[in-house]
Parts: sequence; C-alpha cells; structure tokens
Amino acid sequence: MRPAASILLLTTLTGFAYGLLAWLGLYAAAGAAGADRTLILIGVGLVIVLATAGLATSALHLGRRERAWRAFSQWRSSWLSREGVAALFTYPVTLAFVACVYRAPHAPLTRLLGAAATLAGLGTVYCTAMIYGSLKPIRQWHNRHTAPDYLIFALFSGGTLFALLHTVVIGTGAWPAALVALAAAVALLAKLAYWRHIDQQQPLATLASAIGMAHDTVVRPLDAPHFTENFVLREMGFQIARRHGMKLRRIALGLGFLLPLLLSLLGAAGGVPLVSSALAVACAALGLLTERWLFFAQATHVSALYYGRSV
Amino acid sequence: MTMLPERAPGARKMGLVIDLDTCVGCHACAVNCKEWNTGGEAGILPDYDKYGANPDGVWFNRIHSYETDSPQRSRTVNFPRSCLHCENPLCVTVCPTGASFKRAEDGIVLINTDICIGCKLCSWACPYGAREFDEDNGVMRKCTLCIDRIYNEALPEAEREPACVATCPAKARHFGDLADPASPVAKLVEERGGVDLLAELGYRPTNKYLPPRQAQIPSGPEETPAQPAPGVGGALLRLLDKALSR
Amino acid sequence: MSVKSVAHTTCYMCACRCGIKVHLEDGRLRYIEGNRDHPINRGVLCAKGSAGIMTALSPARLRGPLKRTGPRGSGTFEAISWEEALRLLTERLTAIRASDPNRLALFTGRDQSQSLTGHFARMFGTINFAAHGGFCSVNMAAAGLYSLGGAFWEFGEPDWEHARLFLLFGVAEDHDSNPIKLGLARLKARGAKIVSFNPVRTGYSAIADEFIAVTPGTDGLLVLALIHCLLEAGQIDTEFLVRYTNAHHLVIDQPGSAEHGLIARDAEGRPLAFDRTSGALVAAETLGIDPALVGRFTLPEGSAARPAFALLAERYSEPSYAPEAVAARCGVAATTIRRLAAQIAEAAFHQPVVLEQPWTDTAGRRHERMVGRPVAIHAMRGISAHSNGFHSCRAIHVLQMLLGAVDTPGSWRYKSPYPKPIPGGGPPGRTVGPPGTPLDAAPLGFPLGPEDLLVDAEGEALRLDRAFSWEAPLAIHGLMHMAIARAFEAGAQKIDTLFLFMSNMAWNSAMNPGETTRMLSATDEHGEYRIPFVVVADAFASETVAYADLVLPDTTYLERYDCISLLDRPIGSAHGPADAIRVPVLDPGRDVRPFQDVLIELAGRLGLADFTAAQGGPLYASYADYIVRHQRRPGIGPLAGFRGADGTAVGRGEPNPDQLRRYVQNGGFWSQHLPPQQLYYKFANRDYLLGAQQMGFIGSADPIVLQLYCEPLQRLRLAAEGHGPRVPPQRLRARIARYCDPLPIWYLPLEQSMSERSRYPLHAITQRPMAMYHSWGSQNAWLRQILPENRLYLHRELAAELGIEDEDWVWVESRTGRVKARARTMSGVNRHTVWTWNAVGKRAGAWGLKPDAPEFTRGFLLNHVISEFLPGSGADAPQSNSDPVTGQAAWFDLTVRLERCPPDSPDETAPRPGANPLRIKPRSEKPT
Repeated sequence: MRPAASILLLTTLTGFAYGLLAWLGLYAAAGAAGADRTLILIGVGLVIVLATAGLATSALHLGRRERAWRAFSQWRSSWLSREGVAALFTYPVTLAFVACVYRAPHAPLTRLLGAAATLAGLGTVYCTAMIYGSLKPIRQWHNRHTAPDYLIFALFSGGTLFALLHTVVIGTGAWPAALVALAAAVALLAKLAYWRHIDQQQPLATLASAIGMAHDTVVRPLDAPHFTENFVLREMGFQIARRHGMKLRRIALGLGFLLPLLLSLLGAAGGVPLVSSALAVACAALGLLTERWLFFAQATHVSALYYGRSV
Repeated sequence: MTMLPERAPGARKMGLVIDLDTCVGCHACAVNCKEWNTGGEAGILPDYDKYGANPDGVWFNRIHSYETDSPQRSRTVNFPRSCLHCENPLCVTVCPTGASFKRAEDGIVLINTDICIGCKLCSWACPYGAREFDEDNGVMRKCTLCIDRIYNEALPEAEREPACVATCPAKARHFGDLADPASPVAKLVEERGGVDLLAELGYRPTNKYLPPRQAQIPSGPEETPAQPAPGVGGALLRLLDKALSR
Repeated sequence: MSVKSVAHTTCYMCACRCGIKVHLEDGRLRYIEGNRDHPINRGVLCAKGSAGIMTALSPARLRGPLKRTGPRGSGTFEAISWEEALRLLTERLTAIRASDPNRLALFTGRDQSQSLTGHFARMFGTINFAAHGGFCSVNMAAAGLYSLGGAFWEFGEPDWEHARLFLLFGVAEDHDSNPIKLGLARLKARGAKIVSFNPVRTGYSAIADEFIAVTPGTDGLLVLALIHCLLEAGQIDTEFLVRYTNAHHLVIDQPGSAEHGLIARDAEGRPLAFDRTSGALVAAETLGIDPALVGRFTLPEGSAARPAFALLAERYSEPSYAPEAVAARCGVAATTIRRLAAQIAEAAFHQPVVLEQPWTDTAGRRHERMVGRPVAIHAMRGISAHSNGFHSCRAIHVLQMLLGAVDTPGSWRYKSPYPKPIPGGGPPGRTVGPPGTPLDAAPLGFPLGPEDLLVDAEGEALRLDRAFSWEAPLAIHGLMHMAIARAFEAGAQKIDTLFLFMSNMAWNSAMNPGETTRMLSATDEHGEYRIPFVVVADAFASETVAYADLVLPDTTYLERYDCISLLDRPIGSAHGPADAIRVPVLDPGRDVRPFQDVLIELAGRLGLADFTAAQGGPLYASYADYIVRHQRRPGIGPLAGFRGADGTAVGRGEPNPDQLRRYVQNGGFWSQHLPPQQLYYKFANRDYLLGAQQMGFIGSADPIVLQLYCEPLQRLRLAAEGHGPRVPPQRLRARIARYCDPLPIWYLPLEQSMSERSRYPLHAITQRPMAMYHSWGSQNAWLRQILPENRLYLHRELAAELGIEDEDWVWVESRTGRVKARARTMSGVNRHTVWTWNAVGKRAGAWGLKPDAPEFTRGFLLNHVISEFLPGSGADAPQSNSDPVTGQAAWFDLTVRLERCPPDSPDETAPRPGANPLRIKPRSEKPT
C-alpha cells in the first residue's frame, strides 16, 4: 500500500494526541488533577492542536475536501465514518473535561470526564485502527494485531508527551518515565510480534484463485492490461525491497521504541529528566513515522496479484 | 446508505458471466466500455498525459493475459477484470459518505459521484482492483454495469445490455439475472462450472467466470495411430482400385 | 437540449470493414458501436473500432496541403492551397503522361478503393501501380486464386456453423478480425475442436484446443507430412477429386520436350483423362466415366502421360515427407503429426456433415443432399509472409482438395462473389500505343504463362517493382515493398513521380527503414534527388509525410464517402454478396479532402478517358458521384445494390441517382442471401453459377475445375528450360525451374538458405496486436495506453540459456544490423523463435506524439534488421527478399541472434533516428 504522507501524519499525530489525552484523563480520573491543573490545561491544549492538525492533514488525502462533512454520515457501517464521529465527539468531551479541571479539579465529575475523555480518545484511535483492521484484502492489516497495536502505540507515544509535560510543568518525571518505559517495552514487543506475524502469514490467495483457475494450476502473468502504471498499481501495488524494509524496521525499532525505552529508564532513574523525556518524544515521533510508513509499505493488497506481485 | 440492503425475495442479481475459454484478449470490451462511459451520464472518464511519456487513464475494465500450466495442459488465458458487483461488497460498507451503494432491486454496486469525497478507502476494500480514482474530479469511479443502457427505454430492447457485452466479438461476455436459475446466464454457470474469483475472501461476487475447457465434439483418436507397416501405399492402392464415377 | 443523431457507416480503424453506428451529440462524436444488422460484424466492434473517437481527435491529423521547403526528411513545409497543390501535380503528371506514363508510380496502401486507383493508373497509362497486397498476403491470394478460384480471408471463410475440426495456420490477430472472433465463438459454442499452428500462443491460439508451436516457415512441410499420412492411410476423397478437380487430368510425361508437364488436351483443347470403363482416352469432363488416378498411358501422338494425381501421390508418398522425416525441422513431434492426420481423416470421413438439401450440379444431376467434410481451414500471415509461402499455401489447398473439404458443409467456403474461373481474370495490362494511351487491361492481372509477363526483349522487368517478371512472375499484387528501393536504383530515367497513398513506406511498412529513408533523401551528382518527386496522400503525420515533396491531406474515415465494392475487395460472405458505403459523419473543419475526390479531380484535369466528359471537363464531381454513375461494364458499377432507375435491380442495372440514399436507408450496406440450394459446391453448383453470371461476377456458368495441378507454373518452368519464344534471363533460369513447380514443394525460406544459420539460429517474427492496426494505433489516446511500447518475447528456456531475464535490454542482431529491445519471457512460443508486436515503435516527431513518448524511446521496430534484399545476391542484380513466385515480402524469414546488453546500457531502444516533426510555415493570407 502506498504510504501517503497525509495518512502517516494523521495516524501518528492523532496517536500522540489521543494517547496524551488518555494519560491526562487517567491522571484526572485517578484524582491527581488537583495537584497541578496547569499540566492538564497545557496538555489538553496540546491534544487539541495535535489532533486537529492530524485531522486537518488527513483531509489533504481527499479528492473533494469541501465534501468532507459527508464522512460523518455512515457510522453504522464505516469505520472511517466512525473515526470522524469519534474524533468530533472527543472535542466536546475534552473541552468539558478541561473546563471541569479548571473549575473543579477535585470534583467527581472531573474524574468522570477524565475517564470519558480517555475513552473518547482511545475510541477514536480504535476506529482509526479498525479502518485498516477491517480491510480483508490486506492481510498485514486485517489481523488481531492492528487494533491493539494502534492503542498501544497511542498510549506509548502519548505517554512520552505526558512525561515531558510532567517534567516541564511539575519539574519531576520519574514515575511517568517509568510508566513510559513500560509502555515502550510493551509497544516494542507488540511490534516485534506483529512483524513476526506478518512475516509468517500465508498469502490470502493465489493468482490461480484470483483468476478462477483450479488450485493445482501454475499461473504466470504474461501481459498487463496497460503498459504504464495505473491507479491500482500506484495505490495498492507499492513495493519495497526486502533488504530496504529490514533496514527501516531496525530504524523504527531502535528510534521508535528502544531509544525511548532507554531514555525513559534514564529519566525514571532521575538522570537529565528534561533532556531524556524531550529526546524520547522526538525519537518516538520519528520512529513511529517510520513504523507507520512500513505499516503501509509492507502491506500488500490482494488486487496486486493480478499484476503478478506477491501479496 | 452504505449498509447493505436487505435483498427482497425475488430481487434480481444482475451481472456478467465471462467465458475464459473463448476470450481472445482483444480489449474490445475495455475500449468500448471506456467509450460508452466517457460520454455517459457519470461524466468523462479521464485520460492523463494522452500523447506523452506516461499515458494513463481511468478504465472500468482491464484485460490481463496469463500463461497457465495445469497437470492437463498449458495455455494462455486472457482475463478481463472489472467490478463483480459482489453480494458482500466491503467497498460499499467502508464508504464514509454513502456514495458507494448496492441497489436492493438488482444488486448493482454504484458510486454517487456527487457526494463521493475521494477518500479511496473503497478501492482498498476491493480485492479485485475494480475501483479507480478520477484525478480530474477527485472522485472514485467504477463499472456501472451500464445502468444507463440496461434500463434505457430510449434504446431498442436488444441493445439494453452493457456495452462490453454488446461489443464482445468473441461472445465471451454474457449479461443477465444470476438470481434466476432459469436465466441463460445461470444455466451457463451451471453447465460450465462457473466460478467465483477469490472465493476464499468471502465477497460472494455476482459475476462468474467460466474456466477454459476442452473441445466437446470428439475429434478422433487421441492416441497416435500405429505407423502403418512397410508396404506403404497399400491402403491407397486399394482405394484407387475402387471404381469411380465422374 | 442537445441534438442527437445516429449515422450508419463503415469502420476503417482496420481493414475489416465492419458496419458501425455513429452517435453524434451536437455535432460531436459521442459513441461508436457495431451495427447489429451488418453482415460482417453483426453488432460487435473491436477495440480499434471502439476507439474511433480518439482517432477522429488525433493530434496527428494533417490540416492542409503542404509543399516541402527544407530538405527531404527535415519535415519543413509550407502550407499551400488545394488549387496550388493540384496545379503543381497536374503540371507534373501532364508532362510525364506526354512522354512516358510509366514514369508515374502509383502505390496505394491499405486503401479500399483499388478499383478506382487501379482504373486511374490504367487510364493514365502507367503499368507501375500496385497496392499493399504484395507486402501483405499475396501468397495467399495467388495460391488460392490459382488453385481454388478463391482464397483465404477475403475470398473465403470457414463454415462456422458446421465445422467439427478447425485448423488455423499462421493466423494472428490480423485480418478479418471480428468475423473470425465471431466464428470462433460459434465453434466454441458447438464444442468443435480448434487446432492452431503458430509459433506464438496468443489471441486465437490462446483459445485453441491444441496449440502446435510450429517453427516459422515450415508449415508447408508439416502440411505435406499430413498429406503423406492421409495418402498412406488411403484417407482421401477420390470421388471429389475426379468430379471437381484436375486430379485425373493427364499430364504429359516426356522429359525434355516442350510439352512435358503440360496437361494433355484433345483437338478442342479439352483436358484428357483415361476412362477405366472403356479403356480409352476421353475428355476429362465427360460424365459417367471412371477416370484413372494412377497409371501411365500413351497419348495418340505417342508420348506418355500420367494422371496429375499419380504425380502427386508419388511425390508425397516419398519417405522424405514422412512425419518422422520432418518432425525435427518443423519442431513438431512425428507422433503429433500422425495423430493430427488421423483426427483430420476421422472428422472428414467418419463424421461427415449431411444437410438434407437437394442441389443440382453443372451437369444437371440432382443431388438429394449435401455431404460435407467438416474440416475447415483458415490460414494467414504466418503462411503468407515467407518466401516459400505460395507453395505452403498451395499445399494447404491441396490438402483441402484431397479431403474434399472445399465449399462443402463444414469445410472452408467461398465468399461471394467467389469462386471465379481459375485464375480469376486476364493478364496484367500492358502499354499499347503512344504515350497517353490507356493500358489494354487493369495493371494487375493473372499471368498464365511467359506470354503474359511484363518483360522486355532481354527478359528483364518492365515494371518498377519487377512484378510479372521472371523475378516474380505471379506477383498479382505487385511488390510495393520494393518500390522505393527500385526507384532509387533506377533513377530519374525510369521514374519521375512516386505517388504514395496511405502507406507508411518510410517506416513500419518498409523493410530496413533506415536504408529506405536514406534512399528517399539521396541525391545524384547534380544534387538532384534520385527519386525526383514524391507525393504522399495521407490523413495523418506519419513518418513518410516528412519525405514528401507534396503532401495531399486526406480525411479520416468519418469524414468522407467510400464504397466497399464488389469490383474490389467486397464484404460478401458464403451466404451471398454484399457491399457497403462510408458516408461523411463529421465536418472535417480542416483544409483536407478525401483522396478519392482528389484523384477524380486530378483525372479530370489530366483529361483521362473514363474520367472526362465527352464535351471535355471532369466527368465526375466527386467520389460519391463516381460511385453512383461510373460503369465498369454496362450495368456494372462500384455498388451492386439498388441499381436501375427505380433501385430494384441488383448486380446489373442502370445507375441509380438515388443509390447512395438507398444505401443510407438500408444502414450503409446492401446484401443478398443466396437460396439454400446455392450455398455449397459453388464451383459446380448450376443454380449458383447461373446466378453469379447474371450478377456479373463471372463471365460464364461453366464449372470451375479446382487445380490440384497448377499448369501455368509448368509453362513458366518450360520456358526456364529454354522452350518457347520468351525465356528467362540466364541468371534466373534455375530459379524459375526450381520454384515454378506445378505441385507444392517445400524449401527452406530463401534468406535462411543463404545466411549463416549457426550465427543467426533464432527465427524472429512480428504479429499485429488486436488493439492496434499497423502505424495507426499509437496516435490514439486510448489504444496507446494499452501498448505504448513493445517487448521482445522469447521462450523461458531460451532466456535462461542466454542469461536473459524479464525487462532486460537485448540486442537483436541479424545479418544486416541490430536493434535494441526489451525482453519478456513466456512459455507459449516456439523454442527457437522470438517475436514482437509490429509497428509500435515510432520515429520521434511523428504521429503528433510528445518527444518523450515511449513509442520513440523504448518501442522498437524489428523492420530495422530486415533487408529488402537477399544476402549475397550480388550488387549488380540484387534479388528482393520475396517469394520467388509471387513477390510476396518475406517478412517472417528473418533469423537473428540475441545478446544481452550490459547492465549500464541506457534505458532506450536503438537505433533511434533523429526526430522529424513537421514544421509548417503558415499560408500567407494573400487573396487568391
């Protein structure tokens, strides 16, 4: 699948945003909002900026942006529509949450709204994940890893932001860093498990079955319908060399998960908390962009079978 | 509405039956489809870089060719690929706007290009590569089963069939109601063992493909006859001995 | 509210002549579809026809007459008026006609108006006329017309309704494309078996039940091996042979005599046969005799004679024709050949098709039923485009005759207006009288012996292309592929104006385009062009246009009148005669004129007979006027339908001023269904022949005797042995003696017998893609998406052996040069053959394409490595790369070797001759 920049940015930014929102919400739900409202107020501001930027970027992907509003209508069947609705719904919840934090940080309603904001944010992430997870022609997406992975990566990436904010606003960040280290470790394992899964997956179908031949028939493409690249090939026949893919996986793994893990451990141990948590955010951002790029680039679509590609 | 419609009892299932035993791969269906649809009600099917380095465009139907080796024989298979108007079209349910829809009355899957936002998700949901993006108009396009022909009362009855079917010189394309077991297309599928493409994905395509077969009229010895014994010409001489009458 | 209309006309996106319905909306093309009533295509339309809209919008369309201003090939022109163009040409042609009309060479391409262009040439008085048949399929036409009085493709078709076994020889996606596809569908629907003999398994071969990957150029040998098997097994139809062929005609067996090999005749000139009942020599046509097919008999004058069949049986019973002897050469296992022969015999003799339809033969005998041999054969370019193609095609016709599978239910059938007497017309026209006198007959004809050849006292060719000379005696379509080379060679003494219409002779229609364009632009020691004046009429900016001195822009097929005439290449079928018209559907909106209109105006200006009114001045206002009013013979004109004052006459009748309107009303065509008793055995079917005579198709209703033994060839051969007043020049005698064999022979294609096989071990052929027609496809925005560049296909095993992988660049090298191509591997191809799609590669600057179009950068022409001359044939008298009997261009004789290009080789083809886009100085706006 073609890794379109707008979609990479959308999913990475909303992951950070809604992950952070989850941390803030849980923080409040745990009754900690009263300790320092500033953390939540700044944090929610960041959530709104990042999520809005992500959603706005995704509109660039549309052929007819002026009709984007129509995408909220089909929530009964479409995960993309649900994502839109969930993202939209998250705004008032988040605003109500932040208003309550501002006015009554200790109120039970605030704690409730914290939990609600967490659920709304993670729900949006889940919808995003299910856009991919529901696509049967793409075995690398349509599996039991996609949705949990998106949630884990959101919590992990949002966590790095939360740890940074905590360090900046409150001055200390040991416990958040420790939690982020844990999240990074889980994310790392999840990603490894995902790669292991897709590398061992059987193809969804064979070219023989794609053209209706018996299973014992060997089929080789002779001529494609048209000589030049067409939409299907550009969009769904994207290919990267295996060696190149392995290199990028190592980069994603090191930058996106391993370095943040180590930096967070360093932070948790009390070493240069500001530097380590800031670096962890930067590494996670770059690493997750790489990971997301690979998530698309290494996903194969059954329709590419028709062009003789292996899927 | 992208929820799949309840199929009314007795509703038709209009679709194509494509005979891979007869398709010679001439591209007639693809070009005639392009021609009909480019001036059709859904607007021009765009072409990009028409006379330049990378000529490309939107086609509803594309013709591949493959070489196949089975235990029985090797052959070249020409394979037209277009929307199969599935009974379980994920392309419809993923659509966030309701632009993609499946008609309850005849099962045709269509795009309302007036409300499509061009998110391309439907193309990702289709395992057959049947949906293409119209760069000029920012919307998705696909085979309409020539809905502007098959119900067009301005056309003579005989012409109310999809352009690809009408034009196919090898008569490898058939159109009809696959829900009606008595229809010629359903009978063809029955007699010839018509198959679903990518059945394992569960889309339940309406269009069926008829696999290649062997000649039905017996054509004489399939084994090589023994080489006649020396004394060549005996049979001929006996034949020539017979009296003839001019 | 938009204004919608529908016009019925005839397609011209290829030569098929399908009926189309053109839908217009506000004067613009909206949709083109097949005409369901039309006899050719019955409503279907191929990719090309469906893309007609984009050809009507092609950027390559010429916009007005052009006069060359820069050097030839530079593409530099100035726009001129039609008046100036016609004045220039009239002046030039008037001068030529007054001195030596043969200095005009008129060569037309794939046009469908040869009865007009040929008549123009005849009236002008030049023998130098031909159309594209010489580089297309003259081997098929000549072999068929000299054997059956009909031929594959245009003059015949398989009986799609009844055939049980269908054999396709060398048929790619060319010629008769929609009718063959429709026919294959009918065979498939009935479950008939289709066997394709072809080096390449694509298209029709892809859907064949059996694919025989025969080695190029060996089909004839394979067929003779099938004949060997049938003779061996006694599986032939002797009854058919003695009734309808010359199998029992006695052939004089007196080696060394001037009569050796000729048919023995009685005092009235009737062929003789030996009647076994009476034990006497009798006229072969005598009814009720029991003619001998073998034996040796003594003629009254004492010489010996043998039935033609005996010679045939003796020859093909030889072990050298046994499957085991030919298998390796043909690339087909002997067991396969034997099995196929048995299957052919089984279908022909054990599964006959019997129609309960009485008919009457020419002897007046009533037959209660029609019994057919359901083995149908179709053959095309793969047989034709070899230098042994005439004999290979004759071998197929002999096979058909031995099976009795000619125009019987289930077999190959004649398309109306065929069969014609064998051969189907008089000898080629010759110059008679002073300059300006019309030729005594049409320039293309049918020689029956040395006396009909167009040669001078030394036996050398009179025609520019050497057709009808000892170099190509039966060149009934001319040798268009030699026109430029021979014009260059001959110089201005022999040729002044080379007038080309609708043929891309500087590129894909030329063997060796590099050399051809050099010859077109070569000058003599005075700086004058070797070919003094080149006129090109074409609708599009082809490569050839850049080499013209004068360009006459034609219209597209949607902008003019045309007729698909029974005088030319009709659209009749086995079911009856038919013809059709084209009508203008679009206003060109450019300063272009239909070529036929221009030719008729030119003829009027030149004052040519038949084109000039009695009181002087042009006789016809336009081609449409000519179509209606011209009469070739009394009552017979270009169109057969709606004749007579009231439009009720068919075939013969007075011109009908309302004729075109009647055609339009009828959907653009006219057709007539033969009654069922006339549908088969047309060569001996009394009712059919009488009807055909009435319609003017044939001169007499005598039976047409199929020619198993081709006597005209023996007459040529006797001359080569020194008999008679006209003998070949010494250098050609052995060649004539060898190749003018009255029974089919097989020989290695000439080029292969003369070139180094170990160095060039691979055969290289082209075929036409189904969605393209020669050079026309690439200007079409839709068709070029399908095929903007081509690949060189080769067998996977061969590729592995040579270390070649998909998409590698390779050099294809022949004895004359090399061309760079990109490889693609496959398994459905003869192991020793490489092939590509023809005419995809274009010269930069042509066809209105942008400079970086893949057609220029990666598309390649195999033509670059084909030579129009045979190797080692001597600089003084180079022999053309053609069939020695018919002059057919031997495109497929090419042999090559492959070499992988180094990995750093640039991603482009070679050679890539420099660009020649048209640069046109606009017409000055001065009042005229």
